[in-house]
Amino acid sequence: MKSTLHTLLFAAVLGVVCSTLLVTANLFTAPYQEANRKADQVRNYLAALDVPIPENASASDLIAIFERTIRPVRQGGLERYEYRPEGADAPQAVAVAFAGPGVWGPIEGVLALEPDMARIRGIRFFKQEETPGLGGEIATEGFLKRFNEKQIVAADGTPGFRVRKPGAADGPNEVDGITGATMTSERVGTMLDALAKRIRED
Amino acid sequence: MPDYLQSKAGGCGGLCGGKCGSTMHDGVIRNNPIIHQVLGVCSALAVTGKLENALVMGAALVFVSAMSNAFVSLLRHQMPRRIRMIVEVAIIATFVILFDQLLKAFYWDMSKQLGPYVGLIITNCIVMGRAEAFATQNPPLLSIVDGVANGIGYMIILALIAIFRELLGAGTLLGYTVLSTSWYAPNLLMALAPGAFFTAGFLIWIINALRGGTGLPADKKREDS
Repeated sequence: MKSTLHTLLFAAVLGVVCSTLLVTANLFTAPYQEANRKADQVRNYLAALDVPIPENASASDLIAIFERTIRPVRQGGLERYEYRPEGADAPQAVAVAFAGPGVWGPIEGVLALEPDMARIRGIRFFKQEETPGLGGEIATEGFLKRFNEKQIVAADGTPGFRVRKPGAADGPNEVDGITGATMTSERVGTMLDALAKRIRED
Repeated sequence: MPDYLQSKAGGCGGLCGGKCGSTMHDGVIRNNPIIHQVLGVCSALAVTGKLENALVMGAALVFVSAMSNAFVSLLRHQMPRRIRMIVEVAIIATFVILFDQLLKAFYWDMSKQLGPYVGLIITNCIVMGRAEAFATQNPPLLSIVDGVANGIGYMIILALIAIFRELLGAGTLLGYTVLSTSWYAPNLLMALAPGAFFTAGFLIWIINALRGGTGLPADKKREDS
């Protein structure tokens, strides 16, 4: 009986001490973590929109730039982020977020278009868990650069986008996929195709 | 035990009963957790793609293993035997979560790259093993030395594997280009998990061959006698 009481008491005290320590640590670090999380997302939006960012900009700098130049606008079922540099009266670019299933987990990203809502200005994947070195390459500069000068409308004017087998892309709305990552390439293609159609519908 | 360790043991012998040097030597070299005990291999394979990741992971292990050893050792006389393991895990988990929170607050990029592996230190056999096998039977200061030693032993092996993998897999070291991709084609196999298997395997083989034994307990006894 006495040993049971000792065990219970020991467990209770240990539990209280450990959780107090963790709650304190969490209270202390939560604002920093939140700023990091937000800056991470903001950095991707700014990069896709090709907004000039000073080198070594801190998390709060990025958030400040984002809040100054980017305005969310709800249109149709889509949230659009319009980039308007100070002094400009019309949006210079528009970003739209997208999401969908990848091979190992969800893929989330942002696609930025020129004001004509057809030509691609930039793209970023800010969340992906694809195979490192294969599907994970979608987040690298090499793959993102393939979207330069592309558009979300085919040559004949029908909206849509395709990620083709490596080397097979030839239309203005097609890019090469990644060698060895057919599944990831296909899923990214499906995601962007659906997004292209939704954007053009509005 | 080599002579130089005897003298080192003398340095902090007053605090740790003269066992400081030998405990350090045990953890880092003779009883290295990865090479000799083959513990903690999961994370050694997972986070050794880049040298920087390996070093941060090693630092995390030094911190967690030293702190949890210290507290397990402090509580070793009060700890009820029946819930010993649960108490150890609770203490380890507290420090792991603490480290993870700090990483997320002040070293966000690294936290993103290490992903779930920092949290998985809770289940790392090295930390649990040292708490159970060493800290429950030794005084706090010596237990801290043991925790640090095993953490450093782990970090050294991780760094060695990571140097090979980052160099051959990406042509860089700590992010700086060493082998230019203009003439070196990065070896994808080294960047992926199999590369870590091969590197760790070769490393264990080479070190055991240099020691002149198979690394099995029978050999250890022979060395000791």
